[in-house]
Amino acid sequence: MIPIEYFLVLGAILFAIGAYGALTKSNAIIVLMCIELMLNAANINFVAFGAFNADVMGQAFVVMSISVAAAEVAVGIAILLNAYKLRKTTELDDKQLRSMRW
Amino acid sequence: MFVEYTWLVPLMPMICFLLIGFIGKKTPEKGGYIAIAGALISFILAVLISYEYITGDAYPDPVTKSIEWFVIPGSTDFVLNLGYYVDGLTCMMMLFSSFISTLIFIYSIGYMHDQGERKNRYYAEVSLFLTGMLGLIVSSNFLEMFIFWEVMGLCSYLLIGFWSWRHPDGDAASANAASAAKKAFLVTRMGDVCLMAGLFILLGEFHSLDYTTLFDPATIALADPEMITLAMFLVFGGVIGKSAQFPLHDWLPDAMAGPTTVSSLIHAATMVKAGVYLVARGYPLFVQNPEVMLFVGIIGGVTAIFAASMALNNMNIKKVLAYSTVSQLGYMILALGAGGYLIALGMDMGGAEGATLITAGTAGMVAGCFHMMNHAFFKALLFMGSGSVIHAVGTEDMRQMGGLRKHMKITSMTMLVGCLSIAGFPMFSGFWSKDLVLEIAMEAGHDGSIWFTVMWVLAVITAFMTAFYMFRMWFMTFMGEEGEATKHCHGESPKTMTMPLVILSVFAFGSGFLILFGLDSLVSFTVTDTAFIVGGAGAHGAMYYFEHLFTNVYTYLTIVLALVGIAIAYLMYAKKSINPGKFNRNGTSMLYNALTKRWWFPDLYNQISWKLGAGVAKIVNFVDRQVVDGSVNGLSGAVVGGGDVLSKAQTGHVQDYSSIVLLGVAVLSTLFVVIAMIMGGM
Repeated sequence: MIPIEYFLVLGAILFAIGAYGALTKSNAIIVLMCIELMLNAANINFVAFGAFNADVMGQAFVVMSISVAAAEVAVGIAILLNAYKLRKTTELDDKQLRSMRW
Repeated sequence: MFVEYTWLVPLMPMICFLLIGFIGKKTPEKGGYIAIAGALISFILAVLISYEYITGDAYPDPVTKSIEWFVIPGSTDFVLNLGYYVDGLTCMMMLFSSFISTLIFIYSIGYMHDQGERKNRYYAEVSLFLTGMLGLIVSSNFLEMFIFWEVMGLCSYLLIGFWSWRHPDGDAASANAASAAKKAFLVTRMGDVCLMAGLFILLGEFHSLDYTTLFDPATIALADPEMITLAMFLVFGGVIGKSAQFPLHDWLPDAMAGPTTVSSLIHAATMVKAGVYLVARGYPLFVQNPEVMLFVGIIGGVTAIFAASMALNNMNIKKVLAYSTVSQLGYMILALGAGGYLIALGMDMGGAEGATLITAGTAGMVAGCFHMMNHAFFKALLFMGSGSVIHAVGTEDMRQMGGLRKHMKITSMTMLVGCLSIAGFPMFSGFWSKDLVLEIAMEAGHDGSIWFTVMWVLAVITAFMTAFYMFRMWFMTFMGEEGEATKHCHGESPKTMTMPLVILSVFAFGSGFLILFGLDSLVSFTVTDTAFIVGGAGAHGAMYYFEHLFTNVYTYLTIVLALVGIAIAYLMYAKKSINPGKFNRNGTSMLYNALTKRWWFPDLYNQISWKLGAGVAKIVNFVDRQVVDGSVNGLSGAVVGGGDVLSKAQTGHVQDYSSIVLLGVAVLSTLFVVIAMIMGGM
């Protein structure tokens, strides 16, 4: 059996990559993708703890989480598309996009 | 029945001060009559109180009553009271102060007539001035006295600077009233600081400032003698400032910038007499150490000749009188110092020999107080006379006067009485007191310290100089050919001005005879084992003084010197057969120059204040601007700058913020893990 540390390390690496991307990338699409990465890192941990504790609640929560993430991405992409339509860019640092800020 | 109302004596002018201040503008003469009434009521009260006290059973023990003012808690409480204290000295001071003030106020009606609205201010201030003096006289303790002392300081400032907007000759203290007032205030303040320090020491030693406690030999014996010596030196510092003694004498001539009536009030009835009064009042403490009294005497003697020298060639009629005041104050201080020195020696010595010394020494107190009273009369007369002259000719420069005798008969005759009196012409009041002063100085030189013999020599020379410069003034003003200003003289002054002159001239002539009728008993000073008593000793009587003075060869010496002084002045300034220019190379000799420059004392004051005062001020300025302001500004600068730097962190980028959040979470979780590991004992 694969020890739990392997799963946790994978989750941590995945989270770190996601966090790095979310914090540094200026393209909004990549940022959204990185947020997905972080979510999935959390999902891996859920599943792993669920499996090792012989608890099905872990997997149930992951299903829940994936659906919420899907909804969230849908909303995010929709906003992004509209922003692109108006400003012709998805760069977060761009003046055009920044001017949408409140 | 009147003594209980002694507190009313200073209160009357105080009420007048308030009345004049509030409603004076609506009354005739802008409150002048109210001021006169106040002074007159005070004088009448003083007469009644003195009469009742002197004929009463308590005499010569002081009648005193105090109410508790406040208490400073301590291991022994410091109790400070308010009250009145009546003894022989109080009576004498009260009488002549209020009497002369009344006359000065009456005179002011004429002299200040054309001053318009400002008269209101003038009368209010002189009333307050009189309050200060009378309050100082009847105070029952040193703190109360000090308060009135300061009231007088304030009033002198206000009154000397009465014509503060006049700046005809520049900004030097001798040239305009505002600077002169400032100088008077600051120079006397030097003394007042010393006085206050002395009072603090006395309070620390005695836990009280009441005269009754302080003047009790039993309590004095308990106190540390060295502290008393120090305290009395400091108290005498206050006297030096207030009574314009060397080296703080220089404010008084400049104080002539005020109206002549104010000069008269300052020089005759109030202010400078307060210093002499303080020495006389503090006598029981002053005589605890001969050194203090020696210092007092030397300061007095030096002041006498020093001031007289500067009067010799002054051309300003008022300044001559101012210097003569300083010089006469020196006499009083010298007499008190010499007498006190003998008493102090006698108390140290003890026994029969000591008792003889003490008896001899008490004559010093009599001489000092007697001269103070006589001086008050003739100096008030002389100042008012000079005021009358200035009123008529509109200048203070004696070179422009001359020949005024024909135009102003009453003024010239009354002033002649004053001059004869101050010069010590036989039978005039100044003669009696001056010779008593000289005699006590001689006595102290004989039985005590050689220094007093030196002081006696100085005082005799001063007597000669006094006769010379006073008659120089009189001859220059009233005799000789008519000067510039005499030609458009208005003639004799109004009756309100001449009437006080005539009354005062009677006193200036006759007040000396009071010593023959028992004044010496009123201000005598008796030392017993249980008390120091002012007044009540047996009067010597007329025969004693006649015999005493006219069998003494030195009396004839001073008489001759005075006559020679008068004669020289006559030859120089009336007959003009001797040209004064011969002696000073027409005003170019070193000595003449030194006298005109007032022995460089104003320059010395300037140097001290510029070098020392401005130096200290610069340091204070540096500390204030750089250190105090610097730290405050630095703090605010650090906050503003820090905020500036930190505000750069607010980029507005979500990503930056979330990085910081992530970093925070990372740090916190690491910390948490570390703490868990340590706490878990792993």
